[in-house]
Amino acid sequence: MNKLTYNFSVLLTLITISLPAFAEESLVVYSGRSDNFIKPVLNAFTQSTGIKVIIHAGKSTGLLNKLRQEGDRSSADLFLSNDAGTLQKGTEFDLFSVLPDNIKSQIPDNFRAADNTWVGLSARARVLVVNKKSSAANSVSSIFDLANPQWKGRLGITNSTNESYIAGTTVYMLVAGKNKTGDWLKGMKNNVEGKVFNKHSKIVKAVASGKLDVGLVNHYYIYRHLAKHPDAPIKLVMPDQAKDGIGVAWNVAGIAIVKHSKKRQLAEKLIEFLISNSGQKQFAEVNLEYPTRKGIAASPKVPAVDSFKVADVPMTRLGTHRSATIDLIESVGMP
Amino acid sequence: MSLYTKSISSFLISRGRHSSLGSLAGLVILISSIPLIAVISNSLELSGAQWLNLWSTRLVELLWNTLSLAFLVAVVCLILGVSAAWWISRYEFVGRKIAIWLMVLPLTVPTYVFAHIYTTMFEDDGWIGSLIIWLFGSSEFIPDIYNIGGTTLVLSLAGFSYVFLLTNAALSNSTKNLEEAAIIHGAHPFQVFWRVNLPLLRPAIAAGTAVVVLHALSDFGAVSMLHFQTFTLSIYLQMSGRFDYQSAAGLSLVLVALSLTFLILERFFRTRQQYYASRQSRAHQRKTASPTVTFMIWLWLGSITLFSFGLPIAWMLKWTAEAWAHGSIQSEFWQYSFNSLLIATIAASLAIVVALPLSLFNARSRSRLSNGMLQLSSVGFVLPGPVIALGILAFILTQLPILYGGLSALVFALIIRFLPLAVQSQDAALQQVTPTIEQAGRSLGAGPIENLRRVILPMIKGGMASAWVLVFIDTLKELPATLILRPTGFDTLPVRIWIEASEEMLELAAPAALMLVIGTLPVLWVLMMNKGSQKT
Repeated sequence: MNKLTYNFSVLLTLITISLPAFAEESLVVYSGRSDNFIKPVLNAFTQSTGIKVIIHAGKSTGLLNKLRQEGDRSSADLFLSNDAGTLQKGTEFDLFSVLPDNIKSQIPDNFRAADNTWVGLSARARVLVVNKKSSAANSVSSIFDLANPQWKGRLGITNSTNESYIAGTTVYMLVAGKNKTGDWLKGMKNNVEGKVFNKHSKIVKAVASGKLDVGLVNHYYIYRHLAKHPDAPIKLVMPDQAKDGIGVAWNVAGIAIVKHSKKRQLAEKLIEFLISNSGQKQFAEVNLEYPTRKGIAASPKVPAVDSFKVADVPMTRLGTHRSATIDLIESVGMP
Repeated sequence: MSLYTKSISSFLISRGRHSSLGSLAGLVILISSIPLIAVISNSLELSGAQWLNLWSTRLVELLWNTLSLAFLVAVVCLILGVSAAWWISRYEFVGRKIAIWLMVLPLTVPTYVFAHIYTTMFEDDGWIGSLIIWLFGSSEFIPDIYNIGGTTLVLSLAGFSYVFLLTNAALSNSTKNLEEAAIIHGAHPFQVFWRVNLPLLRPAIAAGTAVVVLHALSDFGAVSMLHFQTFTLSIYLQMSGRFDYQSAAGLSLVLVALSLTFLILERFFRTRQQYYASRQSRAHQRKTASPTVTFMIWLWLGSITLFSFGLPIAWMLKWTAEAWAHGSIQSEFWQYSFNSLLIATIAASLAIVVALPLSLFNARSRSRLSNGMLQLSSVGFVLPGPVIALGILAFILTQLPILYGGLSALVFALIIRFLPLAVQSQDAALQQVTPTIEQAGRSLGAGPIENLRRVILPMIKGGMASAWVLVFIDTLKELPATLILRPTGFDTLPVRIWIEASEEMLELAAPAALMLVIGTLPVLWVLMMNKGSQKT
């Protein structure tokens, strides 16, 4: 029994000890971004400044919920998300502080919060992936084509809870109207016959194998697949580029400084690094995303940024209209 | 909820003999109800119109999906678990001991890992997918698993071991007298099974089914991976999609009501059957299986094992070997493993201590009050992990902010989540301790504490160990609450599996999944040794 008591007291002590306090020069980032997308550039930051970065990974929305509950007891200094809509929600909940001028001046207006509580770091396009051998290769040019019954059983989309999917639908809803977008969703619902994907990479794979003809994905998944399988018969179609087309939907991954952070200066330093030339180049080269900072070129592997038209929707609207989009998606009953 | 109020009122009225133990048990219940209280108070904020909206848009579909999933999983688990237990406990065949192990090993694989692996394997270039293409010539024949069928498959493979364990224990403990009596009176073997064995097995089967159904009702990993709309998934989507905690709470409340109804039904079935074996009765002799029977047994058990453990472990080994060869297993990996073991050890050890007053109180008073408490303690098991986590988070931040920052919040939530497992095992073990033994101790002058230490605890050692192991295993695999409540930068193996899997690189999750299996093996061994010693 004495041994048991001893064991328990050891356990209790273990519990009461909080984790060792983090070193002075360190930052905690609540990150809703995939490690692979963000770790290389954060490591580069640590190397150049000596400031340690602790990544606390999770789902963007889950972390935002947590941040909201924690209030001033949060250990987070920064909040990083792959979705502008989630960042804007954080702004709505008053969780972030305003960024200084030297940061905001580097990033175009439509890639940051109206009140400068967050900035976009890298952008991605919502594009079509088609199988070169299929008839879709030449006939699909707009996302609205996906509702055509021609693609019954030949279309790949993610399930409707995917953040990129919701953000894309928000863009279409704002540009093309609620009715047209609702009809589009209904058409796609018929075409997918209840079969949707939980991963973008699986859509690309299915299109490459010929199981499907066309899919709706973020642009970099296509290049990721091509990097592994250079001979895959797939190509990217930049949708809605016709003269009267709505343009391609964008979304940005972005970052904000948590309101109650006690390390504002260090946190600003990190953001400055992420929007610096070298930081932005990492996003372009490692992730094949589009840098948000003016004048930094994207990777030559992806379509040049001035070669296509982008739907005219400020990224903040992805947050303000998020609930309306979910309502629309649910009223259609998208799987 | 009426049960709750009734319990409270009878608690106030009849604080009789076991008052100090009873109040201690009441305290445990109070603590474990924190998430429930949070859920109730949040759902109270829902207006009538919002409830109506929930009802008309979601509830019917969710009820149907959730209930049919639970039903299907229960049926499949019963078929797999009872058949395996029957053969293993009644026949002596080559490799019987190994077979027992094979039937419990699936417990080491979390549902989300099962789901990951099966989605990968059913792809065109996956193991099963390419086999089907090879056999039938087209990928058209690969079944879709993103539906109730796939979810049932995954949850059954991950859960049937519970039914097996409990049924096997009951069958091994059962005696021959009644069966012989039936045979003497001219019953067919089938009649014997139906009218003698099955009724005797009912408590064990009911208990096993209860565990399986509760797992199915509260599962988040598999349903989110396979995107099958159940309560847990919908609750999660309310919180993540719309940041709507009220609706999530409302849905949770319905889920809790559903689970409690089920639990009460289960108790009803269990308490009506009690059978005490006398010492003189002869234990079962296992029949030696003929080569044909051995072959058939192994054909069946082998097929179960292939899908429930063989394929998953082969997949993990393959990709772990690949990762090893590429040197992509980093030193942090050992830190994650250590974190997982640390948190599981702490949670399991505390849970069995916290559960003890409840089980003891129920064993002594066997009243409606104590039984009601027992049911109420199971709330942690049926509330979805993310809901518990946010409830605990809110409670700690507002009431006990000093505890925030370390492991406490997480440990707190894990204990509440898995308390029912500990209570159930302890309760089962305590049922074997007759009150007379305790009275003997007391009459010889032992105080309550000494009695507990020298009489009761030694007698329920096995039950305590089982409780510890069950909590340990589930904690080791726990994901949703850990994801939200872990201290900053404190990653466990499940968290890493989740992170790697959301990178869309499932293969990278293999080493962590394998490590979970390896970490569970020693404690599973304890559990099995325990079961073995109970038999004699």
